[in-house]
Amino acid sequence: MKGLELTRKQAVLTVVGLLLAFAVPDLARLTASVQLSVVHQGLAFGLAAVGLNLLLRHTKLVSFGHAAFFGTGAYATALLASKLDVAMMSVLLLAAVLAAGLMAAVIGYLSLRHTGLYFSLLTLAFGQLLYALVQGQSYLGSSDGLPVRPGEANQPLIFGLALDADAYAVLLYYLTVVFAVVSLLVMYRLVKSPFGAALDAIGQDRTRAEFIGIPVQRYVWLAFVISGLYGGLAGAIYAMVQQHVRPGPVLYFLQSGDILYMAILGGFQTLLGPLVGGVVLVFLQDAGKDFTNYFDALTGIVLLVIVFGFPQGIVGSLERGGNVRQRAREFAEDPSVVGSWAAGAASALRSAFGDWVNSVRSMLGVR
Amino acid sequence: MVALQNFITHTLHGVQYGFILFLIASGLTIILGILDVLNLAHGELFALGAYVSFSVLGYLTGLVGSPTDPASQAIFLVLVLAGAVIAALVLVPVGVLLESTLFRPIYERDEVYQLVLTFGLLLIIKDFNKLVWGPSPRRIQGVYSGINSIPVAKFVGLTYPTYNVVVIAVGAVVVVGLFWFFDRTKTGRIIRATAIDREMATAIGVNTERTFTLVFALGAFFAGFAGAMALPQSFASLEMGANPLVLSFVVIVIGGLGSLQGAFVAALLVGLLSKWATWQVPALELAAPFAIMALVLLVKPEGLFGTWGETE
Repeated sequence: MKGLELTRKQAVLTVVGLLLAFAVPDLARLTASVQLSVVHQGLAFGLAAVGLNLLLRHTKLVSFGHAAFFGTGAYATALLASKLDVAMMSVLLLAAVLAAGLMAAVIGYLSLRHTGLYFSLLTLAFGQLLYALVQGQSYLGSSDGLPVRPGEANQPLIFGLALDADAYAVLLYYLTVVFAVVSLLVMYRLVKSPFGAALDAIGQDRTRAEFIGIPVQRYVWLAFVISGLYGGLAGAIYAMVQQHVRPGPVLYFLQSGDILYMAILGGFQTLLGPLVGGVVLVFLQDAGKDFTNYFDALTGIVLLVIVFGFPQGIVGSLERGGNVRQRAREFAEDPSVVGSWAAGAASALRSAFGDWVNSVRSMLGVR
Repeated sequence: MVALQNFITHTLHGVQYGFILFLIASGLTIILGILDVLNLAHGELFALGAYVSFSVLGYLTGLVGSPTDPASQAIFLVLVLAGAVIAALVLVPVGVLLESTLFRPIYERDEVYQLVLTFGLLLIIKDFNKLVWGPSPRRIQGVYSGINSIPVAKFVGLTYPTYNVVVIAVGAVVVVGLFWFFDRTKTGRIIRATAIDREMATAIGVNTERTFTLVFALGAFFAGFAGAMALPQSFASLEMGANPLVLSFVVIVIGGLGSLQGAFVAALLVGLLSKWATWQVPALELAAPFAIMALVLLVKPEGLFGTWGETE
C-alpha cells in the first residue's frame, strides 16, 4: 500500500500478528485459557482505544468520556435490532457509526472549548450524563438494558446469513479482525496526512498552530468526531458479540477509564499499542476474575507498574527496547546485578518510608 | 401552608446535600488547585472514610448503647462527631504515604500518567476495602435514628431530621474554617504561594515537598471526613465511591477548576437546584446535576469562579 513502508522485521511481525489473530478461534478450541469472546471483546475495546489515541497521541487531549461513543454505538445497534427489527449487520454497523459520530460532534462541540484537565472533566461529565439519561429510560430498558434481537432470531444476519451460534461467533470474529486491520490502516494514513501533521502541531503548541494558519478548533473537532466514529464501530461490534447491551458495561465512566488505560497500557505513542492494550486489559480482567476475588486491585497494580516501570506501554517498550531490554542485557552480562537492583529498590523504599515517618511526625508536631 | 412547609423541607434537603457535596469536593479541589493533580481515587478515600467510621462509630456508640434520655442523646451526638473526626484522622497518614511514595515522582510527568496512577489507586483502595470489610454493605443500626430522636426542628414547628441539621452546621463550620485557614493563617498562605510559584517558594525557604504532602494529607482528611459524615444516613459499600467522585467533578467544573469559593457556591447551587428539580420532576434525579452543569457551561464556559492558575 502506498505510503506504508515497513522494514523487513516489521513486515514479518505484521504477518505473524495477523496469523495469530486469525488463529484465535482455533486456539480457543484447543485450550480453555483462551476464550474467543474475551479476545473478541478486547479487540472491540481496543478499537475504541485506537480512536481515542488519535486525540491522546496527537492533540494531547485526554478524553475521559469515550465510553459515550462506545455506548452510543452499542445502543444504536441494540435499539435498531430489537425495536425496529433491522436484521442486516451492515445496516446496524453503519447506523451505529453514524450515531456515535453525531454524538461526538455534539459532545466535542461543547467540550473542545477547553483544553487540559477541564476538557477531561467535561468529556467525563457528558459521558456520565448520557449514562444517567439512559439509565433512567424505561424504553431503553433502564439498568437491565436491551437485548440485540430478542427471542428466536437472536443474532444479526451476516451477509444475509442466519448462522448457528458457533459459526456466528467465529465469522463475526474474523470480520472484526478485518475491521481492525482496515481501521488501523485508515488511522495510519490519517496521522501521516497533512491533517495528522496539523494535529501534531496543535498538540505541541496551540497558539503557534493558530499563528501559522491551522484552523485549530475545526481540526480538533474533526479529530474528536473521527475518534467517536471508531468508538461507535467498536460499540456495535461489542453489542453483536454480547447480544445484550446494559448501561453499566458500555457507558459507565469506569469504562471510559478502561479505554484510556488500554491506550496507555499498549503504548499510546504507537499506532498498534491501543489495540494490543485492549486485548491485554480485557484478558487480564477476565483471567483475574477466575484467579482472585481482588481482580480490580490486580488491574490497579498493573497500571502502577506501567506508570513507573513502562511509561512507553507494551508495544512502545518492545519497539524502543526501553528499560526492560536494557536490564535484560545487563542481567545476561552479569547475573549478580540483581543484587544491586534489589539493594537499590530497598534503599528507595527505605528513604520513602523515612520521608513518610518524618512527614507524619512534623504534622503531629512531634520532633 | 403545607406547600410552604414542603418548600422549606426541600430547600433544607438541598442545603444539606450541598454541604455534603462541598465536603466531598473540597478535598478534591484543594489537591487539584494546589498540586494540579486530579485525584481519581478521591471517591475511594471517601468510601474508606465511611468504612473506618463504621468501625470507629460502631465501637464508640457501643459504649453508650442506645440513647434514652436527653443527656445520653447529647453524649451520643458528641461521640458520633468525634468518631467522624477520628475516622478522618486515620486517612491522614494514608494520604501522606500515598503522596510521598507514589505522587511525588509524577508531578512533572504528562497528566495522563497522573490519571492512570490515580485510577490504579482507585481500584486498589476499593479492593482493600473489600478485603478488610467484606463485599456486603456495612451499616450502623440506629445511629441515625438515635440522633434524630433529638427534636431540634420541632422548636420552629417543623419535622425535619436532626442529623441533617447537624450536617448543615458541621458543613458551615468546615467552610468557615477552610476559608480562614487559606486566607488568614501562615501555613495557608505558604500553601497558596507554593501553588502559584513553586520555584519562588523554594527560594524563600519553603519546604515545598512537605507543603505538598501536607496538602495531600488535608485532601485525604476531608475525603475521609465527608465519608464519615455521610455514613449514618446510609451505609458503607464498595460502590459508594463512584457517585461522589463524579458529582464532585460536576461541582468543581461548575465552580471553576481549583477554586474553593467556586466549589462552595457550586455545591450549594447543585444541591438546591437538584433537590428542587427532583421534588417537582422525580425522573430528573440522576440527570439533574449534569444538566445543571451543562447549562452553566453554556452560559459561562470557564465556570462561575473560573480563575485559571489562581488558587483559593
